[in-house]
Amino acid sequence: MENKNLNKHISGQFSAELEDIRNRVLAMGGMVERQLEQALDALGSLDAELAQKVIEGDHKVNGMEVMIDEECTRIIAKRQPAASDLRLVIAISKSIADLERIGDACVRIAKAAQEKRSNNQQPLLVSIESMGRHATRMLNSTLDALARMDADSALELHKEDAKLDKEYEGIIRQLMTFMMEDPRSIPGVLDVLWAARAVERVGDRCKNICEYVIYYVKGKDVRHVSYEEMEKEL
Amino acid sequence: MISIDSSVMNTETLDLANLPAEETALEIRNLDLRYGDKQALFDVSMKIPKKKVTAFIGPSGCGKSTLLRCINRMNDLVDNCYIDGEILLHGQNIYDKKVDVAALRRNVGMVFQRPNPFPKSIYENVVYGLRLQGVNNRRELDEACERSLRGAAIWDEVKDRLHDNAFGLSGGQQQRLVIARAIAIEPEVLLLDEPTSALDPISTLTIEELISELKSKYTVVIVTHNMQQAARVSDQTAFMYMGELIEYSDTNTIFTTPKQSKTEDYITGRYG
Repeated sequence: MENKNLNKHISGQFSAELEDIRNRVLAMGGMVERQLEQALDALGSLDAELAQKVIEGDHKVNGMEVMIDEECTRIIAKRQPAASDLRLVIAISKSIADLERIGDACVRIAKAAQEKRSNNQQPLLVSIESMGRHATRMLNSTLDALARMDADSALELHKEDAKLDKEYEGIIRQLMTFMMEDPRSIPGVLDVLWAARAVERVGDRCKNICEYVIYYVKGKDVRHVSYEEMEKEL
Repeated sequence: MISIDSSVMNTETLDLANLPAEETALEIRNLDLRYGDKQALFDVSMKIPKKKVTAFIGPSGCGKSTLLRCINRMNDLVDNCYIDGEILLHGQNIYDKKVDVAALRRNVGMVFQRPNPFPKSIYENVVYGLRLQGVNNRRELDEACERSLRGAAIWDEVKDRLHDNAFGLSGGQQQRLVIARAIAIEPEVLLLDEPTSALDPISTLTIEELISELKSKYTVVIVTHNMQQAARVSDQTAFMYMGELIEYSDTNTIFTTPKQSKTEDYITGRYG
């Protein structure tokens, strides 16, 4: 970001507006990060109260998305940003959509935490928790890359998602064994499955945000491109 | 099934450095220009593609108007102006001694910032060039007049008062009339030097719309201070700075992912 000298516009007001949406997106990221941590905590400790807090907190995340989106629209209408400014506004506008969806995933995890379940499902939740920690770390680093507009670490993080997908597959296999052993456990296991799916989606969303960071910094659209091609392009 | 017309967004890109001769309208080679001791253009080389709109942008005094004026030798009229290098039209250097400047200007028309109709009727303004060429046949002139006025998207507004004085038209109409005058003699290249900077926003849009229509028949080169206008109307954009051609590429690239930091700074408003 430093090398893009955000503050050097002839119009200081324009610089201030861009800086403002950037700060807001980071604030929104921090909010989502906290939601994810608390949702996973709630799942780990089956704390229905904490889970409720996460569910109620989601509307703030949604509100942030709408507000930042309006700001982006306003900047496009009034300033006609070009080149890196335009890419910044577009990257932000897309990132917040993904952040909001991560917020939705948190709600799903929190809802799973509120379900009453028998003790023999406890081990299932533990495996989700470790996957959840992994997703949290990934979100954390993604937000870091977004804050610093660091394309290199965004590229690294892009790979990270594959590991999360592997963990998810592992959990699915485990859950299938449970269901085969005891069909009565299916309703409970499905809840866990949905939660695991939600955590896995967090990784995908982070990957998307990393792609927007790369788009902003390098001006290359790397969506739907294999990692090798991506590395070659950059 | 929705069919998508790729020509609407115009994502076509030309390899400007290796443009084949049949697609090149003009080639500028190593052009240097000095006004007395002051050098205004430094080694400018570029190929301007046929039947496309090419925009020159850059801060005041960067040499973009000077470069445009070189293309039909308007700078010949300036004292102390020295030019080195070549501009090729049909493979022939227009600065060659043998070139007939009047013939060149018939081939390369020009429209200026302020509309400059002659103090004559609308009709006489349009056919002025043809009369100079010795055309006097009434029917031929009538046809050319209608064709040109239609081509400049002003026919419907003036068809009932062709013999009124051109000064009675609004600024935007006058500018379109001047464009009609320029295309009446059917040039290949049309040079527009800030054609909308003296016009209101609606007239500006009409002219911009006209420019996108003109490129089906003519090669258009436009100098503009309005970057968004360059973004809207041109296929290629050349960014100039202090007499040098900094970056020349298709407009989509220039406005989303310019390669040079000077271009980036200028189009994002960081210049200065």
